[in-house]
Amino acid sequence: MTAADFQALLPFMCVAAAAVIVMLVISFYRNQTLSAILTLAGLLVALASLPIAWSHAPRAIPPLLRVDSFALVHLALLLVGTVAVTVFSQRYLEKYRMERGEFYILLLLSALGALILAAADHFVAFFLGLELLSVSLYVMVGYIFVKEKALEAAVKYLFLAGLTSALLLFGLALIYAALGSMEFSALAAAVAGAPDGLSPFLVAGMLLVFAGAAFKLSVVPFHLWTPDIYQGAPAPVTAFLATVSKGCVVAVLLRFFAPLDPASQTGLFSALAAVAGASMIVGNLLALLQDNLKRILAYSSIAHFGYILVAFLAGGENGPAAATFYLVTYFAATLIAFGVIGYLSPTDQEADTVADYRGLFWRRPGSAALLSIAIFSLLGLPLTAGFMGKFFLVAAGAAAGLWPLLIILTVSATLGIFYYLRIIIAMYSGEGRKSEGRTADAPFAPTSATVLVLLAVLLIVIGIAPEPLLAFIQAATTLAP
Amino acid sequence: MLDLLWLIPALPFAGFLLLTLAGRLPRAVIAGIGCGTVGVGAIFSLLLCHRFLTAPPPDHAFTQSLWTWFDVAGLAPGIAFHLDALSLVMISVITGVGFLIHVYSAEYMRDDEGFQRFFAFLNLFVGFMLVLVLADNFVLLLLGWEGVGLCSYLLIGFWYREPANGAAARKAFVVTRIGDTALLLGLFLLFASLGTLHFQEAFAAASLAWEPGSGLAVAAALLILGGAVGKSAQLPLQTWLPDAMAGPTPVSALIHAATMVTAGVYLIARCHVLFELAPAVLLVVAIVGAATLLTAGFSALVQHDIKRVLAYSTISQLGYMFLALGVGAWSAAMFHFVTHALFKALLFLAAGALILALHHEQDMRKMGGLRHKLPAVFWTFLIGSVSLAALPLIGSGFYSKEKILWDVWISPLGGPAFWAVGVAGAVVTALYTFRMVFLVFFGESRGARVEHRPGPAVLAVLVILAVFSTFAGGIELPHTFGHVTFFSDFLDTALASLVVLPPGLDAELWALLLVASALVLAGAGVAWWLYGKRTQTSDTMGAAPPRDPLLRFWFAGWGFDAVYDTLLVRPYQFLARRNRRDLVDLGPVFIAALARGLHTLLSETQTGRLRWYASVLVAGTLVLLLLAFAQ
Amino acid sequence: MPDAPYWPFLVYATLVLTVAGGILVLSSLLGPRHQERVTGEPYESGVPPTATARLRLSVKFFLIAILFVIFDLELVFLFAWAIAIHELGWPGFWGMVVFVFILAAALVYEWRMGSLDWTERSAQARLRERREAFAKRQQENAAP
Repeated sequence: MTAADFQALLPFMCVAAAAVIVMLVISFYRNQTLSAILTLAGLLVALASLPIAWSHAPRAIPPLLRVDSFALVHLALLLVGTVAVTVFSQRYLEKYRMERGEFYILLLLSALGALILAAADHFVAFFLGLELLSVSLYVMVGYIFVKEKALEAAVKYLFLAGLTSALLLFGLALIYAALGSMEFSALAAAVAGAPDGLSPFLVAGMLLVFAGAAFKLSVVPFHLWTPDIYQGAPAPVTAFLATVSKGCVVAVLLRFFAPLDPASQTGLFSALAAVAGASMIVGNLLALLQDNLKRILAYSSIAHFGYILVAFLAGGENGPAAATFYLVTYFAATLIAFGVIGYLSPTDQEADTVADYRGLFWRRPGSAALLSIAIFSLLGLPLTAGFMGKFFLVAAGAAAGLWPLLIILTVSATLGIFYYLRIIIAMYSGEGRKSEGRTADAPFAPTSATVLVLLAVLLIVIGIAPEPLLAFIQAATTLAP
Repeated sequence: MLDLLWLIPALPFAGFLLLTLAGRLPRAVIAGIGCGTVGVGAIFSLLLCHRFLTAPPPDHAFTQSLWTWFDVAGLAPGIAFHLDALSLVMISVITGVGFLIHVYSAEYMRDDEGFQRFFAFLNLFVGFMLVLVLADNFVLLLLGWEGVGLCSYLLIGFWYREPANGAAARKAFVVTRIGDTALLLGLFLLFASLGTLHFQEAFAAASLAWEPGSGLAVAAALLILGGAVGKSAQLPLQTWLPDAMAGPTPVSALIHAATMVTAGVYLIARCHVLFELAPAVLLVVAIVGAATLLTAGFSALVQHDIKRVLAYSTISQLGYMFLALGVGAWSAAMFHFVTHALFKALLFLAAGALILALHHEQDMRKMGGLRHKLPAVFWTFLIGSVSLAALPLIGSGFYSKEKILWDVWISPLGGPAFWAVGVAGAVVTALYTFRMVFLVFFGESRGARVEHRPGPAVLAVLVILAVFSTFAGGIELPHTFGHVTFFSDFLDTALASLVVLPPGLDAELWALLLVASALVLAGAGVAWWLYGKRTQTSDTMGAAPPRDPLLRFWFAGWGFDAVYDTLLVRPYQFLARRNRRDLVDLGPVFIAALARGLHTLLSETQTGRLRWYASVLVAGTLVLLLLAFAQ
Repeated sequence: MPDAPYWPFLVYATLVLTVAGGILVLSSLLGPRHQERVTGEPYESGVPPTATARLRLSVKFFLIAILFVIFDLELVFLFAWAIAIHELGWPGFWGMVVFVFILAAALVYEWRMGSLDWTERSAQARLRERREAFAKRQQENAAP
């Protein structure tokens, strides 16, 4: 370990140190706000250390991690997502009289797992990162244990995540059996050495690894848990589940599958294409007549990761960039949506049915405007970031000739208009009847308001001027095979 | 200084966002934001004018590229603003008149519960209008074009609780949509044949690629004309504008008189290169303009609603601009645009003050004798009327209209026939203008009571506009006296006029001027004889619609609405009704039912049972493995 | 090693399935199946139970056990480190310092949370009492 290695690892160390510090502080002085501030400080210092790490990129930290521009872009995204979740949590947890400081330790550890995944270059880092992420999440999902649904969700998540971890381990074992190495680079070497086809062990192993990761992405057929857990978990945790815990998995999958050439791996890639297509269709269909906002967002996230898989399958030069760009837009919109939901939820239960949002515009125009921007972006309306995200996805898919998937994308995204607009219509209907929906009246805390407005501005700015960000991501996310 | 160009459209948009997102604000703040954003834009526009006059940038044009929106298959629309003499004139009028109307609205709309919504929409409109005229490519222009259409829709239907207002808004939207479709097709044609939608590049490519009068040039110019005709309410798409008067009066002044409806004029002026390549279409433009100015003038003659008179008058005056464009007199058209924006805004705003004073009474048959009760409104309205009627020497309307008439006479594309139509239109204009003045302000009161006097903001705006509409004519004086060519010289830096004044025509021009002036005065005199001399009581004013068939025909706007209703709307509605359960619907109905059915089916899989979830997860993995190895 | 033969893998998989399935099938085939009055009781042929088996045990047993397992397991790493201490040198030493520090921090947390107290009154409760008493004294001082 040299000094340069340390500097490259600074973001990770900041987050880890913050977790230990928060733990020590709450042993002596328990104060929710202080814990949140320390957490934020740790995350912001980690963000600030990214340029330092950038100056040393690309740098392999053998054998586990690889800090390159691809990893750092994802690190930045994950850290920003965690910052937003921290800000939302602070206000959300205030409503409950319970020990709240530990939540931030779990959040930091979970984020650390996500960061490790984004930079993983080795099976051990892959597995460790995923477990660190998951184990903390089990507790976070059930953190508000006075809510019945939260406990149910936590137990479900624990069981299913355990099951898929086993699948993932089995996959890694098969690949190890085939390659005799646990480094990602060995895979590239194996692919280069066998142009006519990989060994069946390797293919089965890759597919099982994909299955383990796909559970986190909640793509079909690993999607059944999503609505139940989204609904049961506290809104900020759902935000974390929907963004950070998925973004890091996309990053590791992109890196893991980068050496493969879709043209020569027809078997493996046709299975993945089936997953992508099924996710887009099933996700959008399931959301169609759903009345619960959190479940709608859960189902739509299934579809969104189906879209991202299209870019993932397209590969090449544009695939990773398009997927990362889409992640950015999806992160911002989803964080706003769950941030607002968390804010509007009264103490006894979440404000999560569409009926709760009837006439929201007339009661709380600011929240309604923020939620509208987020939903329009998720919908992919032009002039929002979501449109540009979809645009580049389609462009990447078209460049790779994935026409059947693109047709499915277009058709199923049209279905999406129906359920997204239902939310919008509910928010703007019922003028005058003020006491219609069941939402909290508390005003926004300045911190949350700032984060939400910044995210909304980001959505609009990206929608109008996507080129600078896209160019940056394109330059940073080229993965040399 | 020039680099701050982007601020001019950005400020109203910022105002819109602020007013929409900030929650409920106090009225003073709302008015401050609404007027401030446009006012600062007006100051910037003035500074830009100064800069262009004292130290013009190279080629008298300045382009500010902000960023490229996207770049696909050669289509790379930039968010870029192009400032030349043409767009500078447009933005000066939009921000200047727009600012005054904003200030006026702050008082006019004071008691309306939708105050904030009103200013938000108004700011949004100004923003889109500025984008429209500053765009340096067709895509951005189309964005502004559709944006102002949307705002027009929103503001016509501003008092949406009244179903008739909603219907008027819908009508405006649908009718202009026909023109928009033509414009869109025109853009497709341009992009397909020229490969670019950037103004300067497209025009350069067109002059190289197309022979004058070739089929493609004619088609492109015709389609663009279609868009212009819809937006500027020219024959045959003029029917929406009179109904658009359902919106609040400041909206009628800003959108449906001074700015948005002139977008068609701007579009043709901007695309003049394409039109010069298609002389046949230029002739169509002139014919459309001539026909519109006459028919709309006659319709204005018999209306009872003061705002409808002004609406028909707007259509008619836009007809003059089209006539000027049709003979290639770009600067004459733009000159008339400037003066018209000033005096028509003045007329609308004075009418608005009147309507408010009479507690929303718009029927002229119930007014009368208001000269003494509302003197300030009377004098300003009179000044506007003098300009509109183009009474000789006083009022800017005289100078701009005379310039159009001369250019029509001497242009190779014009001629005596068009000149005669223009003069006839001028007579009709004088007639209906003074009919309006005499009915409203002279004679005896016929029922409507003055309940409210205009406040300081309204009066200040009226006086400022009155001053401008009197003296704005001074920027361009006729050749035969004064001979000031300040405005046309300035505009020629962007649009080289096709009309060149041949030497030695002074006597002829004097004669034309005298004939036209005499006829206009005669028209005003007839109005006095018919409406001013006799003090009419309400029962001799005639019923609405009038009994005389010809007058009834004019009253109904030459029956366009009825014809469209019979030929298009009713058959369409009939077909739509017949077709409700028919074949065309089967597709969508089937898809919706299919989606619904699949949703129900898939919902069954969401049992909430952990055991089932785990089984599906494992089974899914096995299926994936099978899929991978089945290949 | 793409040329590795599959058949051992297949044999292994078959064996796993056969054994697991065989046990289930055989036991259901061969096992006694009769339903008598006392079949369901815990001790079919012994002393009948006098009370429920669900005794209330303090959760402390579990907590202490879990804490023991965690710390015991973590300390195993010290052995591995001790064996290679010369090869690892100072970087290894500092690495272990950080590791032990985190472990100690966790221990401090456990202690302050009262997980190590057997009695009901937790450290937290003591802390709260002390704080309340302090606040009370402050009020009394301020009152006159």
